[in-house]
Amino acid sequence: MDFSEAAERISRKFSKDGQHADARKIEGKLKRLVQEFGVQPSEAERSVTNELAKEYNVPLAGATPGGKSGGGTEEKRIAEASPGEWVTFEGKVVALSAPASPAIAQSGIIADESGAIRFVAWAKANAPAMNEGSWYRIESAVVDEYKGVANLKIHSGTTIKEIGEDRALIPTPIPIKDLHPGIGGVRAKVVQEWDASHERMLQSGLLGDETGTVKFVIWKEPGREKLAIGGVYNIFYAQVDEFNGRLSLNLNGATILQEEADIPVSGGDAAFTGAIVHIAPGSGIIKRCPVEGCNRALSRQNYCPVHEIQPNFVYDLRIKGWLDDGEKTHSILLQRDSVEALTKINLDAAKEIAENNPLGMDEVFLQMRDVVLGRYVTCKGREIDNRLLVNTCEPRKFESGEHTKLLNRAGGAS
Amino acid sequence: MSTPAREMGRKDGSFEREPARRVFAAELRECRYQFKDGEDEKSPTFVLLPSGERSNRIFLVGTLTEKTRQGEQNIFYRGRVVDPTGTFFVMAGSYQPEAMQQLAKIETPAFVAVIGKPNLYQKPDGSFLVSVRVESITVVDKETRDLWVLDAAEHTLNRVDACMAGTAPDVIKAKEQYPTMDPAVFRKMAYDALAQIKM
Repeated sequence: MDFSEAAERISRKFSKDGQHADARKIEGKLKRLVQEFGVQPSEAERSVTNELAKEYNVPLAGATPGGKSGGGTEEKRIAEASPGEWVTFEGKVVALSAPASPAIAQSGIIADESGAIRFVAWAKANAPAMNEGSWYRIESAVVDEYKGVANLKIHSGTTIKEIGEDRALIPTPIPIKDLHPGIGGVRAKVVQEWDASHERMLQSGLLGDETGTVKFVIWKEPGREKLAIGGVYNIFYAQVDEFNGRLSLNLNGATILQEEADIPVSGGDAAFTGAIVHIAPGSGIIKRCPVEGCNRALSRQNYCPVHEIQPNFVYDLRIKGWLDDGEKTHSILLQRDSVEALTKINLDAAKEIAENNPLGMDEVFLQMRDVVLGRYVTCKGREIDNRLLVNTCEPRKFESGEHTKLLNRAGGAS
Repeated sequence: MSTPAREMGRKDGSFEREPARRVFAAELRECRYQFKDGEDEKSPTFVLLPSGERSNRIFLVGTLTEKTRQGEQNIFYRGRVVDPTGTFFVMAGSYQPEAMQQLAKIETPAFVAVIGKPNLYQKPDGSFLVSVRVESITVVDKETRDLWVLDAAEHTLNRVDACMAGTAPDVIKAKEQYPTMDPAVFRKMAYDALAQIKM
């Protein structure tokens, strides 16, 4: 790994302040942190910068309140700013949000053509209040990291000048698979709406584009409206959070424009071929809660986790199981149509068995297990959270072409 | 584990079910090395296939030719499942009640699909036996058997190729544990198995 570029960058940062920092020495320090101590390169760069700042007594990251740092910053585009840097740039305030603490005067999102970043103006900074929709030149602000996301700090050494003209700013949506924590924009379709898991939640669900899907959430707030399922939206300046390794879009504070169009959504074209190696309990015929919009599976006592005892349940068929190709095992979920096609047992027949057989619903499970387990199938559908929601499930057929190919392969080199 | 891990995958994103390897009886029979991955009591146990891959679970399809009920208080069933290369020894005991009921009901001979865990035993006379503890066994048709022979042949050839390349950690381990083994033997075995499928 080459550290000379990062070392040069750090050295330059200090030479502007009239200090001489030896790039070779810096490089050695970086190398040691990364190679011996397994520190991430970006973190190493930051820690070496901080160390030198202390050594030369140069202010960094708001360390000396009231002290002006002078022109020690480079003019940058927002997308290029990385934590630990002093930056100067011109951008538009695209969103303002309520400050989370009295120590904060203003917080929101500022954007240029290259991207957007969250900002915080400290109350102590005495910075002029910025207006949503206006352009500003921000000099000598500091980029740091808050909860793993780059964040711009406006402190007392920062100068803010309003730019009178209104420049055009057209943000470009990025593919969902390229989203990363921070601020992001997508052009996507609402493919699913989920039950609200919290009373403060207005809506949550799944957005999809050609490249993938991502969870979204909108919290209850005046002026916020639900998205329409199936609708296509241009969403700008949404906050991208990461939780348990999964990304989620927080749409409060985002600019949302609905579009009269339809876009293809990926995830519906996942296909796996293999043998069904396990059928999980809860497969076969099940009872569902009849309350509108609920549809949860009921327990044996007809108990819905939300609506309690439901004697007028609705029957349904499903199979939860594992599909194994010898290298990897995929969790699969088959709904009624696929179950009927695969097992040749339809809902009426299953109901008949469940109501008249001494084993009841278990008998349906056993009969289905016996015709499905150990069979080769190809399942196609949408993969969400490592589970394949199956649209079609076809039994695999023996093909003599494949047989011949394997014979040639096995015989060829013996 | 008597029953497969069931719903663990749903909440715990990192959980991955051990895949069921496809291996012919003639290769499984040659296993002599069994190891645990990790110190934990619950850590999975693997047999090392001579072609250089670990296996915690296998999927096989063959003909159940024989089954016997054994034991007085602790009933268990043993069975022999034959593939084109040899015989798998399968067993299901009271710790696998579902599998035991399934096996008890099947009339021999029948094509069966078996999902189970391979275990290596050393008999008193010093010889080794690999037996498969059944998780599930169902009666299937001949087409499924033929599909399995293709599947097992393909995976065997993949393993032989990887073994020839010789870089994977399990391949290196296999070369230590089975120094006299020639992977070409398994290529020949796969060919013979394929040749037994009649058009």
